[in-house]
Amino acid sequence: MKKILALLMAAFMLTACFAGCAKQDKEFDSDMAYVKDKGTLLVGITDFAPMDYKDEDGNWIGFDADMATKFAEELGVKVEFVELADWGKKIMELDDYQVDCVWNGMTLTDEVLKGMETAKPYCKNQQVVVVKKDVADKYTTKESLKDLSFAVEDGSAGQDIVEANGWTSTAVPKQADALTEVKSGTSQACVIDLLMAGAMIGEGTSYPDLVATVSLTEEDYGVGFRKGSDLAEELNKFFKKCYDDGSLMDVAEKYGVQKTMVEW
Amino acid sequence: MTVLEIKDLRKSFGKNEVLKGISFKVEKGEAVAIIGSSGSGKSTLLRCATLLETADDGSICYKGKYLLKDKVYAEKDELKEICSSFGLVFQNFNLFPHMSVMQNIIEAPMLVKGISREDAEARARDLLSQMGLSDKENAYPCELSGGQQQRVAIARALALDPDVLFFDEPTSALDPELTGEVLAVIKRLAEADMTMVIVTHEMAFARDVAEKVIFMDSGVIAEEGDPKELFYHPKTDRLKAFLHNANI
Amino acid sequence: MFETVLKALLEGFGKSLEIFALTLLGALPLGLIISFGSMSKFAPLKVVTRAVVWVVRGTPLMLQLIIFFYGPGLIFGTNIWGIGSQGRFIAVIVAFVLNYACYFSEIYRGGIEGISRGQYEAGQVLGMNKSQVFFRIVLPQVVKRIIPPMSNEIITLVKDTSLARIIGVYEIIYFGEKFIKSDGIIWPLFFTGVFYLLFSGVLTLLFGYIEKKLNYYHN
Repeated sequence: MKKILALLMAAFMLTACFAGCAKQDKEFDSDMAYVKDKGTLLVGITDFAPMDYKDEDGNWIGFDADMATKFAEELGVKVEFVELADWGKKIMELDDYQVDCVWNGMTLTDEVLKGMETAKPYCKNQQVVVVKKDVADKYTTKESLKDLSFAVEDGSAGQDIVEANGWTSTAVPKQADALTEVKSGTSQACVIDLLMAGAMIGEGTSYPDLVATVSLTEEDYGVGFRKGSDLAEELNKFFKKCYDDGSLMDVAEKYGVQKTMVEW
Repeated sequence: MTVLEIKDLRKSFGKNEVLKGISFKVEKGEAVAIIGSSGSGKSTLLRCATLLETADDGSICYKGKYLLKDKVYAEKDELKEICSSFGLVFQNFNLFPHMSVMQNIIEAPMLVKGISREDAEARARDLLSQMGLSDKENAYPCELSGGQQQRVAIARALALDPDVLFFDEPTSALDPELTGEVLAVIKRLAEADMTMVIVTHEMAFARDVAEKVIFMDSGVIAEEGDPKELFYHPKTDRLKAFLHNANI
Repeated sequence: MFETVLKALLEGFGKSLEIFALTLLGALPLGLIISFGSMSKFAPLKVVTRAVVWVVRGTPLMLQLIIFFYGPGLIFGTNIWGIGSQGRFIAVIVAFVLNYACYFSEIYRGGIEGISRGQYEAGQVLGMNKSQVFFRIVLPQVVKRIIPPMSNEIITLVKDTSLARIIGVYEIIYFGEKFIKSDGIIWPLFFTGVFYLLFSGVLTLLFGYIEKKLNYYHN
């Protein structure tokens, strides 16, 4: 009897903990009020040049990082970057209040649109196929790709495309792992973001013998907040303002992403 | 008949020469006691004779067959045969803790000599009754007293029917009140004319049981002969001093 | 929904169990061989074996998986694992077996070195040869001594199987996470814990039983 009681107690405490975590927002009128009250904006990112990456001093820079910093200034709070251990759990991180937004060249997939409050897209990216340079000639059309074995980042837009086409694929934890697969020959091709490809392959990188060939789809990048957050609308206003005064394009040019920007 | 003959046996550990030319004979049915202070080389002598140590020089001969002759050891097959002519009882018994008393005794006869389980068990029961341990055949060593364990170890050695049985200080690890039962067993073996070489600190026992006593000192045999002669009329000063210290 | 999740998790758990079983099958005997190497009287063999054990125990299994699987292609330009899931699985087993064999070898070594000299000598004087002494006298006593540390390592192995997804072998955690990514539901990931708990519980009972069985003597 005592054992059963102890077990029930343990179960109760566990439930209480979960409930406690989710209750936080009830104390504030809005998500913006919550963020302003604690004085920091927690920005969920991954190392994803040129959107979010570290400079020589270890500070986060990049198009997204710079814009997030400006947005926090606008709100009058400090910015704090939180590196997401697993990109696949980004919605969970938001719901658990580990971060206040995900701002990391995030593709607005159905999953993201369903699970987050998203601001309007600010960038149009492409999903591209990357293969080894010496066989690139053979794979210039979508038709030529069907017998390849792909590596894709688990939970990425690239994975959705590959699966939708019925191609053979292996899911790996990160985009960089997908490139490693191709370079080591354990997969023949991978599908990653154009932005990522621009920064990570070719001369001067560890992947000089890889090239991007076929472009598969265009996709929208957006910033995601907790479901129901009023910060999404606030960010739309902020982007419009920056676009109008030219500061948005200045930052874009600084990181070489001006061609992917959308008009506001 | 000579069961064991050792000639000019030498052994060094590094620069320390422990055996400096040891020679003696053991005749069939004889009980030989080796006495001497610790560090005199008695245990090393026994370990060389039983192949637990490799001697540097000299010869060891069992029943006319050379285990070691002029630095050269016998070939593997012959070695195995010669080894079956002796047994050794350790100071610390060294019973196999994971085996019952019965298993301890029958393991080697079955494994090494290929004796059937029935025959091995029959022989083991016979030996256990001689040792006064008939009721312990299913016990494990950890359930026995030190004296009982040592008697099992003696039975284990006898099960292989050796021509000569060595004892390396068989009672040194025992509580004083338990030494008697082990010494009594050895005495009975001597009376049954078992050939034995016993390294011991029990002077009274050596005097009463042995037909010959060897006194070792600093790696040599300092004196040997009839026990009463040796104990009551020691010739060398070293033996006199030793016996004086041993309080006999 | 529950049925779909359960089916997927069972599939993943099947893979986890395969990794677990094959690793034990390979690492238990290989560990014994490695322990002989690290106790060898032949100095070069001993030094090399101990160096290997040091490297394997001194680096994360995750890193070893990556090096084993991608290393041949990245460093030598020849991918030895082929393309497809079979090569990945073999690479996982190779890395796991080597890693666990090294851990096991140290446990064996401790167990073997803990057996007193007298046990070997008693066997030798009774006329047993070296392999008879090892298999009849030493090994049974070693088994009793190493059961507690072994059960620790083996239960760690159950959980370490989750590393296999790093190189694209889909074990249970992979399937658990899949539901977050595809449907935005988290509980399947938490639910994988139940599988691990049940399995390590069974192992704990099993080892407890073996320990009890071997308790008929003490040293």
